[in-house]
Amino acid sequence: YWVDSQQKRYVPVKGDHVIGIVTAKAGDVFKLDVGGSELASLSYLAFEGATKRNRPNVHVGDLIYGQFLVANKDMEPEMVCIDSSGKSSGMGIIGQDGFLFKVSLGLIRKLLAPKCEIIQELSQLYPFELVLGMNGRIWVKAKTVQQTLIIVNILEACEYMTAEQRRQALAKLSGN
Amino acid sequence: SCIIEERSFVRCEDLVYGRMSFKGFNPEIEKLMIQMNSKCKEEEIEVDDKMEADVSDEEMARRYETLVGTIGKKFLRKRDQRVLKDDDEDEEVDEDRNSTIIPRKKAKKMFLKPQD
Repeated sequence: YWVDSQQKRYVPVKGDHVIGIVTAKAGDVFKLDVGGSELASLSYLAFEGATKRNRPNVHVGDLIYGQFLVANKDMEPEMVCIDSSGKSSGMGIIGQDGFLFKVSLGLIRKLLAPKCEIIQELSQLYPFELVLGMNGRIWVKAKTVQQTLIIVNILEACEYMTAEQRRQALAKLSGN
Repeated sequence: SCIIEERSFVRCEDLVYGRMSFKGFNPEIEKLMIQMNSKCKEEEIEVDDKMEADVSDEEMARRYETLVGTIGKKFLRKRDQRVLKDDDEDEEVDEDRNSTIIPRKKAKKMFLKPQD
């Protein structure tokens, strides 16, 4: 059983994959903003293939996709970009370009459901790349700026559109 | 008690991995997607299948049998090595001439008292 509620504010949870923005670099540790009450910390050794000499190329303002190692209400949350087996499996610095925007947590859960219609319909339109963070942040990258913005607008509007309206909007777009 | 507290929604609703790519935009992420989503279905099957060995168990056993002998010979003292060699030679000779030659006595280990 679980309690389903409409939320906008994210609460860090252990094991959750989120998108964080690097706000500061304090020696060996990066401070990330994940939309919670506190900044999360990320050690520079928590990347795949990182050693003391081989540091990852992270600057302030970069986007990072990682998971929480420690996240309880007593401590500052800690993030890592590496699996329990030592592989990165898609985590780490998110590349250049693309567009980051914020949605409510309920929409993220809908989009991440196993057979999501929205995602399936969108994937028919153009080739694009999508990263969904459980903290309500979505990053989109498509070939042109216009396509990226179209996808962003559809995803934002999906929250309040019915399935019918969505299909109409997509039909108009694929027609153009 | 039997109550487990789960604070993440990922487990409750079986959510998929958050990084996705469509129509070949990022081939590495597409590979990841297949990997991640098949992990859920094929986890059990993978656990049952063992890795195929390059060398079969029988071959390994045979190899080990002879291996112990060869490595063991290495650590024999010189006297014992000589005795072993004689035994081998005698065996070969026996096969040829139908045991006409009497095998030499094994002269190892016993301390021979010097004759006064």
